[in-house]
Amino acid sequence: MLSSTRRTLSLLTMLCVGHVLLISAQVQTGTGMPVLESAAFGAFSRIQRATAAVADAVGGLWGHYFALSGAARENDELRRRVLELEAELQAARARNLEVRSLEQLLAVRDALPTASVTARVIAGSPEPGTTLITIDRGTDDGVRVDMPVIAAGGVVGRVVGQPAGRSAQVQLLIGRDAAVGAKLESSGAQGIIQGGSRPDRLLTLDYVSSLLEVRTGEVVLTSGTDTVFPPGYRIGTIEQADPPGPRRQILVRPAVDFSSLDLVLVLLVQPIGDPPAGGGPGGPPS
Amino acid sequence: MRLTSVLATVFVAVVLQAAFSRYTVGGTITFDLVLVGVAYAALQWGAAAGMVAGTLGGLIQDLLGGGIIGVGGLAKTLVGYLAGTVGAQFVLARPHVRTAIVAVASLLHRIVVLLLVAVIDQRWSGLPWVAMLIETGINAGAAFIAFQVTDALPGVVERGRASRRSGFSRRQW
Repeated sequence: MLSSTRRTLSLLTMLCVGHVLLISAQVQTGTGMPVLESAAFGAFSRIQRATAAVADAVGGLWGHYFALSGAARENDELRRRVLELEAELQAARARNLEVRSLEQLLAVRDALPTASVTARVIAGSPEPGTTLITIDRGTDDGVRVDMPVIAAGGVVGRVVGQPAGRSAQVQLLIGRDAAVGAKLESSGAQGIIQGGSRPDRLLTLDYVSSLLEVRTGEVVLTSGTDTVFPPGYRIGTIEQADPPGPRRQILVRPAVDFSSLDLVLVLLVQPIGDPPAGGGPGGPPS
Repeated sequence: MRLTSVLATVFVAVVLQAAFSRYTVGGTITFDLVLVGVAYAALQWGAAAGMVAGTLGGLIQDLLGGGIIGVGGLAKTLVGYLAGTVGAQFVLARPHVRTAIVAVASLLHRIVVLLLVAVIDQRWSGLPWVAMLIETGINAGAAFIAFQVTDALPGVVERGRASRRSGFSRRQW
């Protein structure tokens, strides 16, 4: 009995020390273990796809065959189409903004990238309360790390980690370490949107000029300064803004309802500074 | 056999957690079925099984969750040990008593995780009581179902066998 207790305590000590060493190593380097994470994600994403397929199949059995066979399928198709049209609308709005500013500059620039791929959310993160999702598109579909992800309402987040062949992880905008360059639609004033600091899931808009008057309800768009998100995509609306002054707080309600994400679009744009793989179309002229 | 059962419990818990968390992404409702699996293993098979389940389940969650690897593992190892130790000290025949232990384990686990994150970040963001209580409630509910199912399973299997045997003997006559 005593020996068993001693063995258990030894095991506990060993495991705790192991964990502490593991944590210490990461905190010191600040980089984590990408290879280990990537391998674990690649293996587990297959299981996630399978469970999502089973869940969808069970849900679809009723929706497609017992209830409204044709309507459910058409609804799925229409939802995809609406999502694509929303993306086109956002791209058009972004292009409009670009054109306006370019007209002022009398310069010409390439059209905004609109190539995208529709993806379905197949799993959340197994870690409770975290803000990563898994989508059913990966490197086989052209998805790469840091590609922006949007939904019908606006910006969802960006691809993080090393995508697997048929799946990828997306860090949501409301995530702990998420940030995106932003600008106010009316004034064009720029700032940085940061997520994860509030339990009510509102975003904070920082680094806006302390002299600028910011009104509630104002639309916040991506500015493009972060080199990940193309400019002009909707982030959200101002929920609450303190009067002009130093250390004021500006809160933004995200345009996307993250609690009901199902279909998303991955914008197949290569982040600036990241050379396109294989030198295919869209690559720099040789 | 016991290790296989522990591994199977952890695997099922992780898969269920990933599958169900898909529907609560970004919301304020959280739950941790892996923790339920760890507490279940600890109460069924003892402290050592709880620790092994906690280490494995926690590390898998950390690896897939994108956070600091080891935080969840350490918290779940401690909770697995404590649940197993408590389970060994008392006779826990009734499901609701074991469910209460899972509820306490949930609260303890969340507090340990928040403390570890606070130490790492050098910043204490307070206890989100509402979210913690919701998580505890859901975890306890899931544990209660799991205990009820596993307690009822042998009886159901036995009744099925008995029914097949009696049907067979009637056919004989």
